[in-house]
Amino acid sequence: MALLLQRLFDGLFNSAIYASLAISLVFIYRATGLLNFAQGEMATFSAYVGFLLLRPTEVILAGSGLIGILPGLPWPVPLAIVGAVLFGMAAGAGTERLLIRPLEGRPLLSVVNVSIGLLITINALSTELWTTSPRSFPSPFPSANGDFFAVGDARLRFESIGVWITLLVVLGLLGLFLHRSKAGLAFRAITANRESAQLVGVNVGRTLLIGWAVAAGLGALAASLVADAVLLEPNMMIRLLIYSFAAATIGGLDSPGGAVVGALIVGLTQTLVPGYVPFIGTEISLLPPLVAMLIVLLVKPTGLFGSRRVERV
Amino acid sequence: MRRPPTALLVALAGLIVLPMVTDPIQLRRYAGLIVLSLGVLGVVVATGHAGLISLGHGVFVGLGAFSMATFLDDFSLPFLVALPMSFLFTSMVGWLLGLPALRIKGIYLALVTLGMAIIFPALSKQFPNQTGGVSGRAVDARFDPPPWTGLSADQSVLWRYGFCILVCGLMFWMTNNVLKGRMGRAMQAVRDDETSAAGFGIHLPRVKAGAFGLSAGLAGVSGALQVILFPFVSHEQFTVFLSFRLYAAALLGGVATMIGAIYGVLALVLIPAVNNGLNLLENDVLVFGIGLILLTFVSPDGIAGLLSRATGSDNTKSFWRNVKGRYSG
Repeated sequence: MALLLQRLFDGLFNSAIYASLAISLVFIYRATGLLNFAQGEMATFSAYVGFLLLRPTEVILAGSGLIGILPGLPWPVPLAIVGAVLFGMAAGAGTERLLIRPLEGRPLLSVVNVSIGLLITINALSTELWTTSPRSFPSPFPSANGDFFAVGDARLRFESIGVWITLLVVLGLLGLFLHRSKAGLAFRAITANRESAQLVGVNVGRTLLIGWAVAAGLGALAASLVADAVLLEPNMMIRLLIYSFAAATIGGLDSPGGAVVGALIVGLTQTLVPGYVPFIGTEISLLPPLVAMLIVLLVKPTGLFGSRRVERV
Repeated sequence: MRRPPTALLVALAGLIVLPMVTDPIQLRRYAGLIVLSLGVLGVVVATGHAGLISLGHGVFVGLGAFSMATFLDDFSLPFLVALPMSFLFTSMVGWLLGLPALRIKGIYLALVTLGMAIIFPALSKQFPNQTGGVSGRAVDARFDPPPWTGLSADQSVLWRYGFCILVCGLMFWMTNNVLKGRMGRAMQAVRDDETSAAGFGIHLPRVKAGAFGLSAGLAGVSGALQVILFPFVSHEQFTVFLSFRLYAAALLGGVATMIGAIYGVLALVLIPAVNNGLNLLENDVLVFGIGLILLTFVSPDGIAGLLSRATGSDNTKSFWRNVKGRYSG
């Protein structure tokens, strides 16, 4: 019983991380019909930038003038995460403007190539700049050994609670942005019908730029929050990306709420299934979500909460 | 008679010169890269000709290698039997995995194949009897030159090199024939427009799954040949980055033509060679990534397209003008 509860708690923590990344994937998919394979690597890179603000002396770029430009380094953890998120947003916006927008109207293969190219490039760049040795990125929440609520014999860690609260706050802000701001309205208009939105004077380019920035910022946040649990290293997000894609697919690729539900399903099966099915050890905990994703794509490609698209020939 | 393409001549000359200018250890390393050309060719068949975006061909290279090791050591099959068996085995797996591709299209297929590539190393560790599990598996069988060649045992690298080149050449020739024939035309029709292809009486499931099977089999042979060159297999050789490398090489060369596959192989061999020679980067995969992004803007049909436009002989038949948006589905 305690074990079951513990697995539930661990699964919930994972789900929160997958949910953030899945939402950022959904965000871009809704507006552009594009799956950004580089989302995870962009997030890792941003987390490294946060790490740089946190431990300026521990990484290669230290002493290259950066310490002089930014005051008061090293920064406290929450501020460093804000820095990572801001960097991520800028990088996301830059990617949209420089690499994605020029590809408008080009075949899908071009866009896939650019996002795969980005994935490879950023991953290699992280390796080149910061080496593959894992680094510990402290959590902004109390995460010492004793920081947990004891529920029976299971431990509900403060860190998990903190991550969930952060996620809920961010989701709330995102909702406010989408439904209460002019840019959000424009974003929803583009999602609903791009051409009509353009006709009524929505600045599509600028709105998508904002969308990419928000998505990349979310990714950076997810990477910074998970870095304490999985250790910061260049390949950290590759596996996470597949979990998040699975979450987004299961929930329906164009539904943010669905992404959260999908993330819960993925996160919980990831911790529960290996515990009860011996063949699926923790090593291949990726298998169940992948199979689930495959089944969803085969049987109900719109996912649980996605909207159906009518295709005309 | 039509003049053979320059790329082919350059590649052939390189293959002949290579053993003369390298020592056995280098030769073996280059041979390991050259046999990956079949993996690149697999991507060209699946992605370029059948329109099935595959980011997971490293999986089939791995399956080919593991099955070759199993056929050689566990079933004690001779090399010349084990090799075609590996081809058949990986083709069959590819065909089975191609079945979902009948429903999953475009970017979703890219996603599923990417997932496959990521999970493959971990999954292969679950079968330690075939793959050697965590530590990998040493293969006992050795592919040594038979007495009639007059080669001594320490010249066996040369013999293996020659054999691998021969097999690669054979596979390229076979694939070229398939692509030029009825099956190849059917694949391109499906790539360009599924609905009208079906309207012309093309059996979509057969063509798509068949194309995926063939392309997987090609990648499998490259894995099997690696076992001939290096008698050791391990999950570490078949990470997602192998798949990325194959995909990037195919796209760099030009994914729509056979010539493109040859340029892709040149990139696959030359980029690591130059990088190691000059000691530039920790990991040369960076070059593949940047190249992939740049070429998408500069020349979507790869080096093959770039060169054919530069020389004015437009023999790549601008695939990109034909497919406009057809990859979405």
